[in-house]
Amino acid sequence: MSVDVEATAAAKPASPPPSEGAARSASSQRALRKRERRFLHRDKWWGYALIAPAGLGLAVFYLWPVLQTLYFSFTEWGPFGGTSWIGLENYRTMLHDPEVWQSLGNSLIYTVLVLLGIPVSMVLAVLLNLKGMRGTGFYRTLYFLPVVTMPAAVAVVWRWLYNGDVGILNQALDAIGVDGTYWVSDPGVVRFAVAAVGVWMTVGYNMILLLAGLQGIPQDYYEAASLDGAGRVRQFFSVTLPLLSPTLFFTTVLSVIQSLQVFDLIYMILGANTSVGVTNPAYSEGQTIVMLFFQKSFYDNQRAYGAAIVCVLFVLIMALTALQFRLQKRWVHYD
Amino acid sequence: MRRRSLFAAAATTFGTTAFAAGCGSPPKPTTASSKGGAERGRITYGVWDVYQMPAMEKAAREFERTRPGVSVDVQLTPNATYWTKLRTACSGGSAPDVFWMNGPNFGLYADNGQLLPLETEGPEAILDPADFPPDLAKLYRWKGTQYGAPKDFDTVALWFNKELFDRAGVDHPDDSWTWQDLITSAQRLTDRRRGVYGVGAPVRAQENYYNSIPQAGGWVLSKDRTESGYADPQTLDGLQLWIDMIHRYRASPTLQQLTDTDATQMFQAGKLAMTYECSYNAAVFWADPALRGKVDVAPLPRGKRRASVIHGLANVVYARTPHPKLARDFVRFLSSRRGALLQAKGTAIPARNGTQQPWVDSMPKFDLKVHLDAVDYAVPYPISTNTAAWSHKELQLLSRAWSGDESLADVSRSLTKAMNQLLAQEGKA
Amino acid sequence: MTETSVAAPRRTRPEGGRPPAAARRAARRNREGRLWPAHVLLSLGAVVTVFPLLWQVLTSFKSFGESTRVPPTFLPEHWDWSNYATVFSSIPFTDQLLNTVLMTLLRTVAQLLLCSMAAYAFARIAFPGRGALFLGFLAVLMVPSQLFLLPQYQIMQDLGWLNSLQALVVPGMFSAFGTFLLRQFFLGLPTELEEAARLDGANPFTVFWRIALPLARPGLLALGILTFLWSWNDLMWPLVVNTDPSQMPLSAGLATLQGAHLTEYPVLMAGSVLATLPVIVVFVAMQRHFIQGIAFSGMKG
Repeated sequence: MSVDVEATAAAKPASPPPSEGAARSASSQRALRKRERRFLHRDKWWGYALIAPAGLGLAVFYLWPVLQTLYFSFTEWGPFGGTSWIGLENYRTMLHDPEVWQSLGNSLIYTVLVLLGIPVSMVLAVLLNLKGMRGTGFYRTLYFLPVVTMPAAVAVVWRWLYNGDVGILNQALDAIGVDGTYWVSDPGVVRFAVAAVGVWMTVGYNMILLLAGLQGIPQDYYEAASLDGAGRVRQFFSVTLPLLSPTLFFTTVLSVIQSLQVFDLIYMILGANTSVGVTNPAYSEGQTIVMLFFQKSFYDNQRAYGAAIVCVLFVLIMALTALQFRLQKRWVHYD
Repeated sequence: MRRRSLFAAAATTFGTTAFAAGCGSPPKPTTASSKGGAERGRITYGVWDVYQMPAMEKAAREFERTRPGVSVDVQLTPNATYWTKLRTACSGGSAPDVFWMNGPNFGLYADNGQLLPLETEGPEAILDPADFPPDLAKLYRWKGTQYGAPKDFDTVALWFNKELFDRAGVDHPDDSWTWQDLITSAQRLTDRRRGVYGVGAPVRAQENYYNSIPQAGGWVLSKDRTESGYADPQTLDGLQLWIDMIHRYRASPTLQQLTDTDATQMFQAGKLAMTYECSYNAAVFWADPALRGKVDVAPLPRGKRRASVIHGLANVVYARTPHPKLARDFVRFLSSRRGALLQAKGTAIPARNGTQQPWVDSMPKFDLKVHLDAVDYAVPYPISTNTAAWSHKELQLLSRAWSGDESLADVSRSLTKAMNQLLAQEGKA
Repeated sequence: MTETSVAAPRRTRPEGGRPPAAARRAARRNREGRLWPAHVLLSLGAVVTVFPLLWQVLTSFKSFGESTRVPPTFLPEHWDWSNYATVFSSIPFTDQLLNTVLMTLLRTVAQLLLCSMAAYAFARIAFPGRGALFLGFLAVLMVPSQLFLLPQYQIMQDLGWLNSLQALVVPGMFSAFGTFLLRQFFLGLPTELEEAARLDGANPFTVFWRIALPLARPGLLALGILTFLWSWNDLMWPLVVNTDPSQMPLSAGLATLQGAHLTEYPVLMAGSVLATLPVIVVFVAMQRHFIQGIAFSGMKG
C-alpha cells in the first residue's frame, strides 16, 4: 500500500509529500487522490463506443420496459392491450387501498428484520477469521449452500419445518416445554417466520463478503492496537469495525434493495402457489409489495395498477439507497 | 385461477390397445378442406400439464398421420405462467393456434374477441354439443356462440377413508346421505387424540362451496352475470355448513391447520376421514399403493337438493391464427371419439360421451362411476368476463369468515359489495 | 511495478514481522485448544443452515406416499432411487442441462466483456453525459426483476425469437449490476501503468484491453461467478419465453414438474439436487478465488 502511495505521489507532483504517521498519511493521500482524480482519457468517442454495446442492450431490454411501465401506470390497460390515459387515477386508488399500505409495511418490516441478519453474519465471519481456525473452507461451503439452492425446494422444506401440527420446529419446542404456533398461518408471527428464512438465505452470502473484508485488514493494525493496550473487544470496535465499514455499507445497501424486492420465497412459503392460495389467514400480514404487484398484473388483469405499484416501490428503493449514501459519511471509513 | 392437477407418472403410460382395437373408423375431418387443396403447414398447440404431454403428443402425431404436410407442435407452459403469457401473446398476435382454456378465463378471451367461433352444425361442424355433458358445452358458449370444444371434465364427490370409518364403527357414506348424515358422521369420526378429523373444510370453491351453495338452494352469480348471490340467505346456508364444521361441530381442522397441511394431503396421510375432491385426484390417490386399498368414493351428500359442480377444459382456436382452417380441423379431431380416447386413461375424464369407461376401468378399486353419475345432477361453474378479479376477492374475504375473524354476515356484506362493483366494471368495459 | 499495482487494491498482510515457523506452530496448537467454543458455535449454525438441504436430499429418496405422510418421517423407509429415474424420464434432462450450460456460459462471457468495457469507460474516460448515463445504469439496478418479464417477452415476440437459445441468452447478456461492480473495481486500480501506455500512444481500447483488463482479473472472476450462479438458477424468464421442453434450461424444466394442485415432491427434490450439484462443485473448486473476487465488490462505496 505504501508503495502505491509513493507511486501516486510521484505521478502527481502537485499533491503534498507523505509525512507523519503512515496510516493517516495514507488515508489522506487516498482521499486527495480520489478528489483530484483526473480522467485518463478525454476522447469522448471512445467513451461512447465502449459504453454502446452494454448501454444499448440495457436501454432496449431494461430501460425501455421501465419507461413503458411508467407510462402504463398512468393508463388503464385492457386485458389484451389497448391503453387509455387516466392520469394519476391509479396512484389515487393506491392511496386508498389498504392492501397497498399493508404490503408496503410488510416489505419494510421484512427488510429491517433481514438486516438484523448482518450482525449474525458478522459474528460468523469473525469466528471464521480467528487466528488458527481450521476448516474454514468447509464452513464457508456449508453456509453458502442456501444461496445456491432452488427457492422452490427451499420453500417446500421450510413449510414442513414450520408446520404447526407436525413440524420439526414445534416438536423441538415441545421437548423443552414451549408451546409452538402455526408459524406460517398465524398473523402475529408470520412476518418473523418469513424473515427468519430470509436471514437463513442471505447469512452465508453476507458472511463471505464480510469475511473477505476481514481478511483484507492488515495484521499490523491489530498489533499496533494491542501495543497501545487495547483488548480484544476494543480492537474490534477501534480496528475491525471501521476498516470493515465499506464492506458493511455495500452489504447493507444490497440487502435493502434485495429485501424490498423479495417475492418468490415468501410467496411459496405462504403456500400461495398451492391450493391454499390466498386463503392463508396470515396472507395479508405476509404479502410483500412485489407479491401484490405480481398478483395485480399477472393474475387480476390489472397491469396498469400493478405498474403504478411497482413505480412507487422503485421510487422508495431509490430514496432509501440515496439516503444510505448520504448517511455513509457518518460511519463509513474509506482508508 | 389455478386448477387441474398434474401428476401421476403412472397415469402417463397410455395404453395403446384402447383406441387401436375397436374404436370404429377414424373421423374424416379432412375431406372438406382437402377438396380445395389440402392446407399444409405447422400449427402450435398450447398446453400446461406436463403429465398430459404424452397424450397430447400422441394426438398430434395421430392427426399428422391423417394430414400429410401438416405438423403440430405441442408447447408446454407450466400453469404458473400460462395465463399471464397467453394474454401477452394474444395481444402480440403470437398465441398458439390451438390452446387449452379453462372456465374462469374463458369469459375474458371470448368477450375480447380472442377466440374463433366453432361451428356446431352443418357440414363444417367442428363439434356437436350434444356429444358432451350439457353444462360443460354450455360453459364454453358465449352470447350464443360456441368457442370451446370440451376436452375433459371433472366433477366433485365425497372421498372417504374406509379404515377410519370401520375403526369408528360408522357406516360408509352412500347415495342416501344428507348434510345431516355428513355432520353426525364427521363428529363421530373425529378423534382429536389421534389427530383425526371427520371432514376437511378448507376454503375451496370448486371442491366445497360451489357444491354446497347450490345444494342449499343458493347461487353465486346471476344468470346474466351481473349480480352477486352472496347476499342471498340460502347462499349463506351453503357457506355456514363449512364454518360450522370447524367451529360448531369441531369436526374439521381449523383454517390454520389446513393452511399448513392441505386437506388433500391430510386425507392422504389418514388424518381426514372425508374430503370433497375433484375427479382428477383419483389418479393421485391411485398412485400411492398404501392408499389404494384404503379409500373410496361416494356421491356428495344432498342438502335441499343434489348438486355437483362440473368444470372442464376446452380446446379453443386463437382468433388471429394464420391457419384457421387447419386449427379447427385439429380441434375437430381432438373432439372426435378417437381423439377423446387417446387420453382416456389419464388423470382427466374425457369430455366426449361414451369415452369415459376406460378412465373408470383404469382404477378398478375405486367406485369412479360416482363421478360420472354426477353429470346428471351437475351445476355449471360460475363465470363472468373477468372471473379472476372477483374470485380472488371471494377467496380472500371468505377465509376471514372461515377463520372466525369476521362474522359471515359481515363478510357477506363486503363480498357482495366488492363483487357487484367488479361485475359492474365488466359491464362498462 | 507489477507488484505495486496488484498489491494496491488488496490489503495484503505484510510479509515482515512474522514469528519463526516453530514458534508459530506452538502458538497455533495453543490457540486451537481455545478455539473449541468457536467450533461449537459454527457447527450449531451450520446444522441449522444445512438441515433444510439435508431434508431435501432425504426427501428425494422417499416414495410419494411417504413424502406426504403426517407427521413426516426423517430417514426414508427404504432408499428409493426411482425419483431420480423419474426426473430423467419426465423431462429431457440432458438437453436441458446442455441448455443451462450454454445459457450460463454465453451470458457470463458476454457480461464480462460488455460490462467491463462500459465500466472502464465510466471509470476512466471523460465524456459529456457520463454522469447521466451512469445514473441510467444505476436506475436499472433498483427495479424489481419481475417488472421486465412481460415487456421483454413482447420484445422477443416481436423479434420472433420465442423458443430459441438467443431468447434465453440475449437479455441476460447486459447487466447494470456488473457494470456498477466493475466500475468500482477499476476505480480502485492504480492508474500508472495505463498512463504509461497512453503516453506511448495506445488508444483507450488498447489500454483497456492490454493493461486494465488483466489487472481486473479478480473483479471479473467475482462477476463471472455471480453471473454463473444467477444464470444457473434463473427461472421465471426461461419459463415465460421458451415453451418447448427441449429448449428449456433445467430450472424451468424442473418447474414444469411442479403441479398446480399437487406435486410429486420427491421427484422435484431429486431434480433440484441434480441441478444444484454442478453449482456446488463449481463453488467448492473456485472457493478461494471466489472469496477474493467477491471481496472486491465490497471494497468501495
